[in-house]
Amino acid sequence: MNHPEMHLTNDEIELWSLGLLGAQRAFHLSDCSLCRDIADRERKVILELVQLPRFAASAGFADRVMAKVKVPTPSGDFTA
Amino acid sequence: MSAASDQQVVAWAKQGHEAAFRELVRRYERPIFSLLYRMVRDRALAEDLAQETFIKVLNGIKSYRPEFKFSSWIFKIANNAAIDHLRKKSLDTLSLDGSPSAETPEQMRATSLQLGGQGETPLDEVESRELGTAIEKAIARLRPEYRSCILLRHVEGYSYEEIAESLELPLGTVKTYIHRARNELRVYLEDRRE
Repeated sequence: MNHPEMHLTNDEIELWSLGLLGAQRAFHLSDCSLCRDIADRERKVILELVQLPRFAASAGFADRVMAKVKVPTPSGDFTA
Repeated sequence: MSAASDQQVVAWAKQGHEAAFRELVRRYERPIFSLLYRMVRDRALAEDLAQETFIKVLNGIKSYRPEFKFSSWIFKIANNAAIDHLRKKSLDTLSLDGSPSAETPEQMRATSLQLGGQGETPLDEVESRELGTAIEKAIARLRPEYRSCILLRHVEGYSYEEIAESLELPLGTVKTYIHRARNELRVYLEDRRE
C-alpha cells in the first residue's frame, strides 16, 4: 500500500503540507511531477489557513457572560 | 489553574468555583468567537452567539459527560448556533429584485431591497479590515458545513476524529468536506491571482 511509486493520497498530501509525512512516502514527490504539483498547490492553501489570526471579542466579554451564569454554591476545595 | 486540564477545570466548575467558570471562558473565548465570526461575518452577531454558547455550556456544566472532550462539546454548541442562524437567515432573505408577486417594473422597483444608502459604520470598517483578505473572502464562499470543518481543522488544529465528534458527522464525511473545501479555496485563490 505504501509502495514508493504509488501516488500520494489526499491524507498524505495534507501530512506532507504540514511537514508530517514519513520520508519514504515524501520521497515519491521527488520523482512524480503530478503529485508534486498537487502537493505544492495544496500546501499554499493550508499555509494561508494555518496563519489566520484568532479574533478577540470586545472588552468585558467574560463579565457579560458571567453575569448570566448561575454558579452553584461551592462544595469543597479545588479538588477534582 | 491555567496549567490544569479542561477536565480538571470542569470538575472544579461543577463544584461551584466561579474561578473555574472564568477559566473556561478565558480558554475558549477567542477560538469560539473566531469560529462564529468567520461563520456569520458580523462582529456583533458573532458576539451574541458566542455569549449564548458560553451561557448554555456553563449553565449546563453538570450535564457535561467527561467521556467526551470539553472542546468538542463547546464547539458543537457554537457550530449549531451558527448553522441555525444561517439557516434562519436564508429563509428570511429577500430578493434583491423585489417581491416575487411583482408583475411590472414599477412594482419590482417599489418592492426591491435598497442597499448602499446607509454609509459605512466604524464596525463595518473593522469587519472589512479583518475579513477582507482573499483567503477570508474565499472561506466566506464555502458552504457553512465545509466552513466549520476547514476552520476547526486548520485554524484550531483539531484532528479529523475530534471534528467528527464535535460536529456529529461520520469521519468519512468530515474528510470529504475538508478535501472539497480546500479544493474550492485553491480554485478561488488561483482564479484571483491570474
